Amino acid sequence: MYLTVRDATKTYGTFTALDRVSIEIEKGEFVCLLGPSGCGKTTLLRLIAGLTDLDGGEITLEGATLSDLPARKRDFGIVFQSYSLFPNMSVAENIGYGLKIRGISAKEIAARVTELLELVKLPQMADKLPGQLSGGQQQRIALARAIAVDPRVLLLDEPLSALDAKVRATLRDEIRQVQRSLEIPTLMVTHDQEEALALADKIICMNHGIVVQAGTPEDLYHRPATRFVAEFMGSSNLLATEEVARHFPDLLATYPADKKAYLACIRPEQIAIKPAENGVATVQNISFLGNLQRLELDCPAGPLLVEIHGRSPCRTGDSVELSISTEACTWVLDDAEQTETTPA
Amino acid sequence: MSSIGQTTRPPLQRSPLRRSLDGDRLLTLACVGLPLIGLILFFAYPMVIVFLRSITVGDSYGIGNYTEVLGSAGFWRATRHSLTMGGATTVLSVFLGFIIAQGLYRCAFRGKWLIRSIIVLPLLAPSLVQALGLIFLLGRNGVISRALGVEIEIYGFWGLLIANTLYALPQAVMIIGAALVLLDARTYEAAEVMGASPWRQFRDLTLPAARFGILNAAFVCFTITITDFGNAAVIGGDYSVLATEIYSQVVGQRNFNMGAVVGIMLLLPTVISYSIERQAMKRQQAGQSTGQVAYQPSFAPLRDITMAAVSLVICAGIVAVIGIVVYASFVTLWPYNMSLSFKHYNITLAGGYSSLWMTIVVSLAAAVGGTVAVFLLGLGLRRLPQAIAQPIQILAAMPAAVPGMVLGLAYILTFNSTATPLYLLYGTAALIAIVNFYHYHTQGFLTVMTGFRQLPPALEEAAGSLGAGLGRTARDIVAPFIAPMLVSVFFFLFMRSMVTLSAVVFLTTPKLSVAAVTIMRLDDAGLTSQAAAFSTCVMAVVCVAVLSMKVTMALMGRRSRSKGAV
Repeated sequence: MYLTVRDATKTYGTFTALDRVSIEIEKGEFVCLLGPSGCGKTTLLRLIAGLTDLDGGEITLEGATLSDLPARKRDFGIVFQSYSLFPNMSVAENIGYGLKIRGISAKEIAARVTELLELVKLPQMADKLPGQLSGGQQQRIALARAIAVDPRVLLLDEPLSALDAKVRATLRDEIRQVQRSLEIPTLMVTHDQEEALALADKIICMNHGIVVQAGTPEDLYHRPATRFVAEFMGSSNLLATEEVARHFPDLLATYPADKKAYLACIRPEQIAIKPAENGVATVQNISFLGNLQRLELDCPAGPLLVEIHGRSPCRTGDSVELSISTEACTWVLDDAEQTETTPA
Repeated sequence: MSSIGQTTRPPLQRSPLRRSLDGDRLLTLACVGLPLIGLILFFAYPMVIVFLRSITVGDSYGIGNYTEVLGSAGFWRATRHSLTMGGATTVLSVFLGFIIAQGLYRCAFRGKWLIRSIIVLPLLAPSLVQALGLIFLLGRNGVISRALGVEIEIYGFWGLLIANTLYALPQAVMIIGAALVLLDARTYEAAEVMGASPWRQFRDLTLPAARFGILNAAFVCFTITITDFGNAAVIGGDYSVLATEIYSQVVGQRNFNMGAVVGIMLLLPTVISYSIERQAMKRQQAGQSTGQVAYQPSFAPLRDITMAAVSLVICAGIVAVIGIVVYASFVTLWPYNMSLSFKHYNITLAGGYSSLWMTIVVSLAAAVGGTVAVFLLGLGLRRLPQAIAQPIQILAAMPAAVPGMVLGLAYILTFNSTATPLYLLYGTAALIAIVNFYHYHTQGFLTVMTGFRQLPPALEEAAGSLGAGLGRTARDIVAPFIAPMLVSVFFFLFMRSMVTLSAVVFLTTPKLSVAAVTIMRLDDAGLTSQAAAFSTCVMAVVCVAVLSMKVTMALMGRRSRSKGAV
């Protein structure tokens, strides 16, 4: 294991920002910390960077503890949401700053800066000041600045959140490409599940200062462990066990053996419908989303959301038959009460 | 892409020291520690001494001095005069200041730059210049009195009121203007659409929004009036006020303990006024919202021509008072031989121009040392936990509540005593530079803190993650970022040190004097024209400083003109 965080704890007064959080990052891995605002993900990133002190627990890199090491000695690269380029330095000076601190010769720095500018596809910008660049360009330079020193770990704190949709998508792909080619272990904080799904080798989903679930994007989407993860990662239909027993008894085959409170989670695209006279459900509303249609159904088990690729076979008011395969149903722990009682 | 070189990595350094002994932590402690020691030694400690001296009776402590002072008719007269003068000046300067600010920010007419430039003139001269100017205009031999053939008694209440008002006016305009400029154009557009007349808009929107600004301006004007010494000394005549009372107790009667008592009494109203002012400022800042649209007044002939005329009349008054001093300095023998000459620039008082050069050196020292000190303090405070930073911030903001006279008195009591090695500083130019810096510590400190608040923490964190220590971050990232603030603090300290009188009046010696004190002595000696000549020299130096500041700011602005928001 390359980077390990064990039982990290951080409190601010009576507020517990992180409660014994443990995570691991392997060499070359791209890990996303995903969660709503206030879940502790940024705190965790700052602890790893050394910008905030731990209250408890330990962070180790290749087996050596980082706890006593200030941020400037950790050899990490960091990119902030707010770009945070040094406004008084040119693009080249910004990128070369970490190398200058390390006492690298001006000639070597210049060569490396040119190389990095090529890498982030801004070769002409060396002499510009940060204020002359667009947001997307500034963030690319910030990325180049972070990787210039060949960091042991790359930390990205919501690097795409301040950018508009189109730039965000391009830069997202470029970050992934650069990370893959340099194989820098990377930890990115985001609240955007789509971003996390597209980028990460592993997603760590957090809420209220604890890790709710960690796994591959496929795991988290198709096999969410709790109601929180199911709702946070895309849309889902969550049905109470009694309703499932009454209306879709076949699905109970996979019901977990323990006695905890579970809900059935069925993703909207995994429900098949076909128009039928006297079907169990009625189409209440159809939203046209271009490549897909979102149907709101009224069925005895409660309202259901269904997504269909291409043309909808039915219209508002039609009655339809439903079919849900056993594999489409995941049983998730109902952590909703905990969500409501714990202050955000 | 794989061409990105894998530089050979040194093995991960384990810091041999505990984090608490990390070099940066020591540096942080030094950054806060040195200015803090300065604040304690040169502000808190002298203030304690002045208080102790006020309760020293013979060899023990007691309230005897207070009962004696409170029982004397002279003290009550001076207090009554100070409060009356403070109140009258406040009303007048806030009223006039509001008119000018309203004209500048809520009306449309040309030539506002002229009004802006003229209005700050009184800040560029020692406060006694207003008094001198009034004497040349309205005194027994004044231009106006002679032209009208009337005898005006300018020494006393009316002369002092006008001089103080001119001195307080720039502050009133700036503070009220800052409040008016914050008003959101959208609210006025909404009111307009709802059918509110301009008068209603003024009454229902402008006045309520500006009330904290007005309140703030009132307290500032009141404080500077009751603490000012220069005008009262030159034009007050028999109208004794607390500031002149302290001076006569200390310099006239060598009665230090009594001076200390009057100083403590003068401290009461200024401390109260200052704390209310700080609260008002917080309320005003809290009322601000983001995304406002600046108000663009359109031309309304009746309103704008009236406002422009009134503003110009006030400005003409300021120009007349200051201009006559410059003019009089060249007149051969006022008022009998009005031909021009440089005769009065040959200063006959002992020392001649030496005090001017000394003042420039002292002001430069105060400006350099002070700018470095507040920068270090701000830099260090950012890295301390709030619980420790908060009390230091409060201490750093306290000197503004202390009148210059009281601080100067505290210094003479502290440093002219052989009880501590600090005695070595007494009578040196260094001590005058120090008293000037601590006299204006609050304004410099708050300006730098404003700069630090605008500095995104992420910039320092990014530098830290790239391997930069505190020293390097301060030099490469922080200092360039807040450079404009540092420049304005530097020039502010320089200019105030050039013209201040109240704090230094006790600390000058026959061998070591400063410009404002020399002007006062020349005036005392009846060499009014030479006092005018010396004042003109001081104003010339300060004007050069103002121009240098403008040029520096412009150059810095050009260098970073293209830098956008980060």
